Amino acid sequence: MTKKIVSYYPGCSSQASAVHLDTSLRAVMPKLGVEFKEVQDWNCCGASVGHIAGGHVPMAALSGRNLANAKTDGTSDFVTPCAACYLNSHYTNEKIRDNAKVRDEVNEALGVAGKSYDGSLNVRHICEVIVNDVGMDAVKAQVKNPLTGLKVAGYIGCQTVRPFARTERGGMWDTYDDPTFLNDFISATGATAVPYTKKTSCCGGSVSVMSPEKTLHLIKDIVGEAQEQGADVIATPCPLCQTNVEMYQTALNQKYGTNFNIPVVFYSQLFAVAFGMDPKKDAALHQHLISADPVLARAK
Amino acid sequence: MTHASPTPTKKYDLNFARWVYENVDGGDRMALCMQCGTCSGSCPVGQQMDYGPRKLFMMIRAGLKEEVLKSNTLWNCVSCYNCVVRCPRKVPVTYILHDLATVAVREGYAEAKESDNSRFAKAFWWSAAKYGRTDERLVTALYYFSFGMGEGYKRGMANMPIAMGMVKTKRMHLGMPHKCKNTGELKKILAKAAEIEARSHAGGAGNANPAGGTAGHDK
Ligand code: SF4
Ligand code: SF4
Repeated sequence: MTKKIVSYYPGCSSQASAVHLDTSLRAVMPKLGVEFKEVQDWNCCGASVGHIAGGHVPMAALSGRNLANAKTDGTSDFVTPCAACYLNSHYTNEKIRDNAKVRDEVNEALGVAGKSYDGSLNVRHICEVIVNDVGMDAVKAQVKNPLTGLKVAGYIGCQTVRPFARTERGGMWDTYDDPTFLNDFISATGATAVPYTKKTSCCGGSVSVMSPEKTLHLIKDIVGEAQEQGADVIATPCPLCQTNVEMYQTALNQKYGTNFNIPVVFYSQLFAVAFGMDPKKDAALHQHLISADPVLARAK
Repeated sequence: MTHASPTPTKKYDLNFARWVYENVDGGDRMALCMQCGTCSGSCPVGQQMDYGPRKLFMMIRAGLKEEVLKSNTLWNCVSCYNCVVRCPRKVPVTYILHDLATVAVREGYAEAKESDNSRFAKAFWWSAAKYGRTDERLVTALYYFSFGMGEGYKRGMANMPIAMGMVKTKRMHLGMPHKCKNTGELKKILAKAAEIEARSHAGGAGNANPAGGTAGHDK
């Protein structure tokens, strides 16, 4: 197996609402030949609201500092598992590289701390690394405990592939409207990916956090189709999708009279269980608001 | 270059549109919008917007600055980037809406400043700049209480079951906020960045219309 060291930017959710994504990735990625070197003293990327209160240059400076810190690690890839972190870091990286004005502004700000950055790292989503550098054969080779019979709705969400399914080195790692990578991940574990047209629908993102009354109908459709398709669990790569789709099921039931109670897990937790790893220590399956019983039942 | 956006004085005054083309992130490509409606048709929350992105862009061309900067379109966008990847003219719709939102807040429109997003963004930025990390507890608490004590308490209580669940599953901690180590360095960088940002918005003539202002279809 080819070994690879990447700079790892976990993002703020790794410390709180999506700690189970971070835990399970740190457990499974070394098995897939990817070693993490955590970006030194990383900070928040500004998510999808930072521009409103902070403005453009401060927003770019946030990602600029992370990228500058990673650059000193000597790796060539800046890898993150969070959709919003990916979007912001990727966007800023391209701007710093291709737009002289932005490059100068960010470097003027970084300069007060003796830092600089030129846009030379590749910002990559960890799922793209799994698709392009690891490959499904290497994933399958680790499966000791196939999740046979588990029905999974693969819910990608929006920002993981939009707009940056286009990679920095050219080419697309998947498509915008009908990406297949998550179903490939699910199948590799031995589970069954149910047909699921809502795979790239938006969960409302931060608007769902601040004003759920505006967006609950979006989540209703996402959970509703998974239920209709008989999914045991929903699996997602996105930290905010996991939280929104899981935590609002009670509110949906109250508002719409539905009877939703579908666990929402990360693909990396499915990997950990399929790799025969510890359901708690490695898969962090105890950290769900809706207990992930169908997955736990298959853990070794 | 960048200063407060000009307020049109008559119908189909192109000055606001020109300002947007030049000063809003992605605005240069907005000039290529051909009004096909793919963006609005792809929008999951188009039904809840005062105007979909297509119409909003036409309103910018028509000089309807007030209506544009007061519209809830800027706040109801969920940043799903559906419009961006589907636009046949490669107009970066989401970025334009984000930036118009920033303009609306900067120029002091009450509808903008009092929007949920602006309140949330303020709380969020406070945490990101102070600690270098988002503390989800403090951000939501600050956001809830930005509506006042009574409403803050009400919203807090309504979300209590979720918060308790998060604490129980160790996805929300009790105790000091998470922070990055060198918050002093981050503050210095952000202060400098804010200074550069302010520099680019300085030197404008407020909301005054640039001299002449005769460019328009109704000449
Ligand atoms: S999809 Fe693009 S070209 Fe079509 S109306 Fe929207 S912004 Fe204009
Ligand atoms: S990014 Fe905003 S405007 Fe564009 S489709 Fe999504 S919600 Fe609609």
